[in-house]
Amino acid sequence: MFVDARTLPQRFVIDADVCIIGAGAAGITLARDLSSGNRKIALFESGNFDFDADTQKLYAGEVVQQAYIPLDRDRLRYLGGSTNHWQGSCRPFDALDLADWPFGPEVLEPYYSRARDVCQLGPDSFDPADWSTAEARPLELGQGSRLKSGVFQYSPPTRFGTVYRNDLATAAGVTVYLNANLVQIDSNESASVVTGVEIACLNGKRGRARAKNYILAAGGIENARLLLNADRVQKAGLGNAFDLVGRNFMDHPFVPAVATIFADDASPEMRFYDQHVVRSRIVEGYFCASDEVRRREKLPPFAIGIRSANAGIDAGVGNIKLPAVLRNLLSDSLDRKVAYYLPRILDRLETPVTWLYNKMWRKPPGRFVTVYSCGPDPDPQSRVTLIDDVDALGMRMCRLAWRLPADFEQSMHRAHELLAQELGRSGIGRLRIESSSATGYDPMQNLGNGSHHMGTTRMHNDPHRGVVDADCRIHGISNLFIAGSAVFPSYACDDPTLTIVALALRLSDHLKSSIS
Amino acid sequence: MRQTRRFVLVSIGCVSGLPLMLAAGFGFCTDTRVDGTAAKLRALVADAPAACALGRSYRARFPEEEKQAVLTGLLCSSLGLGVRGIAAQDTDALLSRLDSRVREDFSCGDTVQVNGWVLARTEARLCALCK
Repeated sequence: MFVDARTLPQRFVIDADVCIIGAGAAGITLARDLSSGNRKIALFESGNFDFDADTQKLYAGEVVQQAYIPLDRDRLRYLGGSTNHWQGSCRPFDALDLADWPFGPEVLEPYYSRARDVCQLGPDSFDPADWSTAEARPLELGQGSRLKSGVFQYSPPTRFGTVYRNDLATAAGVTVYLNANLVQIDSNESASVVTGVEIACLNGKRGRARAKNYILAAGGIENARLLLNADRVQKAGLGNAFDLVGRNFMDHPFVPAVATIFADDASPEMRFYDQHVVRSRIVEGYFCASDEVRRREKLPPFAIGIRSANAGIDAGVGNIKLPAVLRNLLSDSLDRKVAYYLPRILDRLETPVTWLYNKMWRKPPGRFVTVYSCGPDPDPQSRVTLIDDVDALGMRMCRLAWRLPADFEQSMHRAHELLAQELGRSGIGRLRIESSSATGYDPMQNLGNGSHHMGTTRMHNDPHRGVVDADCRIHGISNLFIAGSAVFPSYACDDPTLTIVALALRLSDHLKSSIS
Repeated sequence: MRQTRRFVLVSIGCVSGLPLMLAAGFGFCTDTRVDGTAAKLRALVADAPAACALGRSYRARFPEEEKQAVLTGLLCSSLGLGVRGIAAQDTDALLSRLDSRVREDFSCGDTVQVNGWVLARTEARLCALCK
């Protein structure tokens, strides 16, 4: 059932068994899975069924240090949350990705299996060999290779607010309150039990919700903001006894056109590492370091994809620049940026090795560019804090300081060096790493972020090192949980949505057993 | 395989003067087999200014390999051939040997960045022989 909270009486009171804040991938998954005739689930969504500018402004905040998409444009605040602009990339974390987690892949696997259905994925395989075809096949890397191939499966993508809207409308015991914003979390004097939450609407209506258990599922930045704003009992914010809330923020840095690859345009190996369709499913291969090399060289988990750059200048700009183009559209500086790119793409056609290739091959070689993303180690100084400015509901806004590791570029270049060696060893082609000094083009100018907000309430069994425990419960508070990528203690290099859903299903099982 | 051979072909284009350089370094300038190899190589690539540009960058980065004799010796060593051996190879055999060597360089990580290009050490040295 859906209820517009703006139509409720002033000082409304809602009672439930479970109160969920945020109707994105995690919140909707929890509400659907917890649905039962015996449980009352109250799901509070700040927005409505569709985008509303005034509601979206509640996401506004300040960005310092590393450039970042403005906070009120990087996320979406209506039913379905940021799945409304999700691209759909999915892959379960592997054992090495989960090395810093309190549990291993065997714990998550049954939930991944269910999450795949929720995310409308295809066959249960992320083995590149299973997606190999004559037209697009993974590079044969051989024994002892420093790289390995992986594959992302793409969700349609699932717009949770659209796909599961009817489920939410009919789910037993579930009430979705729209236009309902959490503005305060109340607790007992020792901050060990949450006693209720205050809900406010932009039309001035205010009320209160009470439940046995509360789940913050508002996103990796907003969850931290809500906890830091809940400062009536714990002045540093609820659950922040050890100054960890908001720290270790991470997103996936995304750098397009780090390198240019010259190879046969018809190479099936080149095609595999771009998005392509296999058996009616969109998949995309990627290169990453072998486990042994990742450990030995202390490289972050990374993924290198390949895009064709031969489809013409316009398409080339699109391929190379998609995230930056988005960012530039948002910052109204597209013209300036395109003016920057076009001559550089043309310049690259005139480089000496290209000239040589043309001369010898008697035809233009296939030209590709790489796209790089990674999941650096958590950094406590990369964080979400509050500023004194308040939003329309009186909540303090947040400041995001995203910091990349000092060796970020070095790791990125090393990853590409490894790729170049594999391409050369296999005879596929040659790779040139772009840099202002070597080629006059600095890929770092186009560094973007994946809009994957992670780590601000990280999971750890030790309350001195994590905000939530292995059950996603905030340390020291018996009935407050976090759902979503905010709990990730480390980040892998993958889109977090599949893991968000898997963790939400796991939390749901935990709550079912504890409630019963 | 085919592509690598072609790339080596490109690279070796910069050493159209390889036998003469070898001759200068080792005193075999009268060896007709070297001259014959040179002719074949020249026929493959008549002009290679771009590879020469890469070669200049390589030599600037590795000044200890500036001298042709040094470069030639290193190449002969990495190819497992003496000057007479190189001269004795027909084009296909030489390319095949180069192909193997270049792949081996990539495989064992013996690469060098020249103007951003990640090149096998052997092909970079071939470029460096071009002046």
